[in-house]
Amino acid sequence: MEKILSKEKLREWVGKLDGCEVHAPAFADSVWNYAPVQTGGDIDLSHTNTVGSVKAFAFPQREVFFRFEQAKGGAPVLTATVPEPRPTVVFGVRPCDGRGMPRNDKVFSAEFKDPYYWARREKLTLVGLACNEPHSPNCFCQSVGGSPHSEEGLDVLMTDLGDRYHVKAITPKGAEAMERAGDAFNEAGAADQAEVERVHAESRQQPQRPIGDLAAIPEAIKQNFDSPVWAEMAQHCIGCGICTFLCPTCHCFDINDEATGANKGERVRTWDNCQFPDFTMHTSGHNPRHDLGARLRQRVSHKFLYFVENHKTQQCTGCGRCISECPVGIDIVAVLERVGQS
Amino acid sequence: MMDNIYLPQVGRIAGIEEETQGARAIKTFKVEFPNGDGFEHACGQCAMLSIFGRGESMISIASSPLVKDYKQFSIMKMGRVTTAFHDAQVGDLIGIRGPYGNHFPMADWKGKDLVFIGGGVGLAPIWPVIQTAVAQSSHYGKITVFYGARTSRDIMYKADFERLRGLADVQLSVDAPEQGWQGYTGFVPANLMDKAPSPDNAIAITCGPPIMIKFVIQNLQKLGFADEQIYTTIENKMKCGIGKCGRCNVGKDYVCVKGPVYSWAELKTLPQEY
Ligand SMILES: Cc1cc2nc3c(=O)[nH]c(=O)nc-3n(C[C@H](O)[C@H](O)[C@H](O)COP(=O)(O)OP(=O)(O)OC[C@H]3O[C@@H](n4cnc5c(N)ncnc54)[C@H](O)[C@@H]3O)c2cc1C
Ligand code: FES
Repeated sequence: MEKILSKEKLREWVGKLDGCEVHAPAFADSVWNYAPVQTGGDIDLSHTNTVGSVKAFAFPQREVFFRFEQAKGGAPVLTATVPEPRPTVVFGVRPCDGRGMPRNDKVFSAEFKDPYYWARREKLTLVGLACNEPHSPNCFCQSVGGSPHSEEGLDVLMTDLGDRYHVKAITPKGAEAMERAGDAFNEAGAADQAEVERVHAESRQQPQRPIGDLAAIPEAIKQNFDSPVWAEMAQHCIGCGICTFLCPTCHCFDINDEATGANKGERVRTWDNCQFPDFTMHTSGHNPRHDLGARLRQRVSHKFLYFVENHKTQQCTGCGRCISECPVGIDIVAVLERVGQS
Repeated sequence: MMDNIYLPQVGRIAGIEEETQGARAIKTFKVEFPNGDGFEHACGQCAMLSIFGRGESMISIASSPLVKDYKQFSIMKMGRVTTAFHDAQVGDLIGIRGPYGNHFPMADWKGKDLVFIGGGVGLAPIWPVIQTAVAQSSHYGKITVFYGARTSRDIMYKADFERLRGLADVQLSVDAPEQGWQGYTGFVPANLMDKAPSPDNAIAITCGPPIMIKFVIQNLQKLGFADEQIYTTIENKMKCGIGKCGRCNVGKDYVCVKGPVYSWAELKTLPQEY
């Protein structure tokens, strides 16, 4: 299903999504981030990209697994807290973030399906917005097999055509969200189709960061396992972890028990980070990834070697956040370039 | 509804045995399933044990799968969770989920001699294999068990070793001379060379401190054991146990899923990140 939505009618569409939670990018504190849209409220899709990625809708930074209560010597009472969210529609998802989700889906499935992730994920409809222009000088979606109008992982793809949006349903879930406001949409004519194709083609010509031969990277990383390149490129790292927290595909987490009172508490999952020294440190003090270089190597290898070996695709969609937001300028594209040359 | 992979079952501590004392003491816990559920496991698999309010720890299942009434765990007192276990009493109710990881390929070892080489707390992961092998001794050839501890007081499963003597060739060692000690004096790899078990139609299974494993493997190779004939287990920090939290990998493998059991032939192809 491909339709045309005039820009004034976007609000009407959102208004028809009653019963759903709607989120869209909002500009606050000098950054774009997803925020809930009030019923009948406006949404502004003039954003570059949100600072936080869309993964948090299925994999929030903090998730309570269960509550427990146990008096000393007594029986524990466990109450699972698998969420039961309302259907949630997220607008303005950039195609790089869209492509992150099927990668996260793989991680949270496999032999063990994660009920917390899937309870949220199944209720999620992602309405993407093609990037007519790169949203940052660090964009490299095309260098990792994506495109500024990739449909992968999205339920709907919108393309800005100036005074109107071209809106395409990618999945049945996406079609359903569009059908809610059937009247708001017009049929897409031949001229609209031609215009979308032109805009998409033009977007692919915009400058992006090149990373050379993607297929050669896994072998280059393998050959460089013991190379001094990692330590050299990581030497300014302060281990803040922003690269992984903002990443649309980083999924590492910690599990801890938090007390909420005497004899009771919660077992909680929180985002964790392979750049933190204690991420892999055994209680004995032994740490298999004991220095900055080993930890940078892990981040890059996970995305461009191990994930490829396990899932036949990179675990990076080229959003560029880890480069743009790194306080000390560690640049994954530059690292790949160096490793490729060594 | 999907199974909740993070929600533990309730286990009851049915027995506590003090194995060794000192700063890093070891206690062995028998855990029953009072609600009747439980789970089956294979030799070498682990479980996530928890004390609610303290957290979870990955621990090898030290009892044989042939034992159905309970599971046994030997826990060294290290940090938060393991200390809470050392403070626990018989009758306490704990959390347990599993089983996790791969297992020793015992079905492939039918008719072969088995040589076990353990050191310190590193006996726990191979103990169920030893127990299963002696219980089904007609399936295997000669069974030899090398085990060494710092002193005779640090020897684990002392009572069980006495019983084992009748069923297998048991070769105990202590690191330094001790009055009245009947076994070998010296390190485990040296004892292994001293007795020099034959590699013909044999499998060697070793577990213990990394430094011991290193020399045991070197010595096994000197004795003529091929890399495919040598098995060991590895350990990395774990949180989820199910290949999701991302911390226990060695190269592309999450040890919690693809390990902890590896043949030396497999292990030597992986990066040294454990
Ligand atoms: C496959 C496997 C089998 C194991 N089998 C045994 C066993 O049979 N007996 C035994 O005593 N110990 C075993 N361990 C080690 C045991 O899991 C750790 O000593 C224990 O988790 C430390 O927890 P803590 O809360 O006491 O320490 P803290 O440092 O207070 O806790 C930190 C947390 O980090 C994690 N952690 C820290 N060190 C390790 C580690 N080396 N391995 C895994 N997770 C760690 C745990 O989640 C732990 O809760 C095994 C580890 C693995 C990976
Ligand atoms: S313990 Fe979480 S991935 Fe292995």
